[in-house]
Amino acid sequence: MRNSFITEGIVLSRTDFGESDRVLTVITSDSGKLRIIAKGVRKPKSKLAGGIELLSVNSLTVLPGRGELDTLISSRLITSFCNIIGDLDRTMTSYNLLKRMNKATEDAVDGEYFQVLRGALQGLDKTEVPINLTELWFNVHFLSVSGHLPNIRRDIDGHMLEPSNNYSFDFEHMAFREERKGTFNANHIKLLRLAYIAEYPQKLCQVTDINTYIDKVLQLSANLVRLNHQV
Amino acid sequence: MKILLIEPDNLLAEIYVRVLKEEGHTILRVSSAQAAITQADKLSPDIVILELQLPFHNGIEFLYEFRSYSEWQKIPVIINTFADIRKIFISSSLGVSKLLYKPNTSLRQLLRAVNYAISVTS
Repeated sequence: MRNSFITEGIVLSRTDFGESDRVLTVITSDSGKLRIIAKGVRKPKSKLAGGIELLSVNSLTVLPGRGELDTLISSRLITSFCNIIGDLDRTMTSYNLLKRMNKATEDAVDGEYFQVLRGALQGLDKTEVPINLTELWFNVHFLSVSGHLPNIRRDIDGHMLEPSNNYSFDFEHMAFREERKGTFNANHIKLLRLAYIAEYPQKLCQVTDINTYIDKVLQLSANLVRLNHQV
Repeated sequence: MKILLIEPDNLLAEIYVRVLKEEGHTILRVSSAQAAITQADKLSPDIVILELQLPFHNGIEFLYEFRSYSEWQKIPVIINTFADIRKIFISSSLGVSKLLYKPNTSLRQLLRAVNYAISVTS
């Protein structure tokens, strides 16, 4: 006998399924990535996302299915990120993050991925936090939970990264390489470290002169995500 | 052609509906993303004209939802918006036929975009 369970989830994507059902792909806090059928939500009155709010955290009651699809019994909104919806750039960025998370994760992912995505959406929901800070935070933490964060303490030869040196980034070895004309300096690496240890994106707002270094570090993190996850 | 016009401004909507009807199109106008999804089910539009700055759920959300339905994935969507399009990056996966900035777009240019969308789908 299959027992239903309750979990927290964020909808990553949805597709239609038959005439009146929707299939939602959801990343959850403790049940990995699920594909859930929301039955009968298409007609007669279609709701956006089948009644589950997009760009929000929901409590979902799910009945495990025999195959790949589980069934949604009910949902309850926990957190809605209204400020994201009120801003087109933040909306677009959010969907890009959802797409990246969906494409790069298999079904059996642990709750850390959910925490990273929720943290990023919380950051995007705070209008005082620039979008690029949250993007950087997401990229770094996504790389970390997926085991692809480069070494931010030692260079390619195993030496400690020095404040007085310049570095280039070696994508083949996923590490910094000391190079006199390298485009990364101590401040870039420091920002990368701060993004890693920051519990939330908004913590990065406390970094002084961040605008001088963010673009390059964000570009590096985005390239690393693209390279390691083909997204 | 059946056109779904998603336009929250009543005065603008009235003008667009009149002009598009004069061209022989059937127009259904709505002012929110949720209404647009509901009416798309009923109308089965050939073309969508979309303002991004909508109440409650914005136009980007509507687009993602609209494109998640298989029968609506190839329908041309013309964005005609007050939002600053220079600052918005819209993913190519959303299949936007034309991106128009309302303050700089004449009715003639809008009609041209509609005609182009029709020619492409034909």
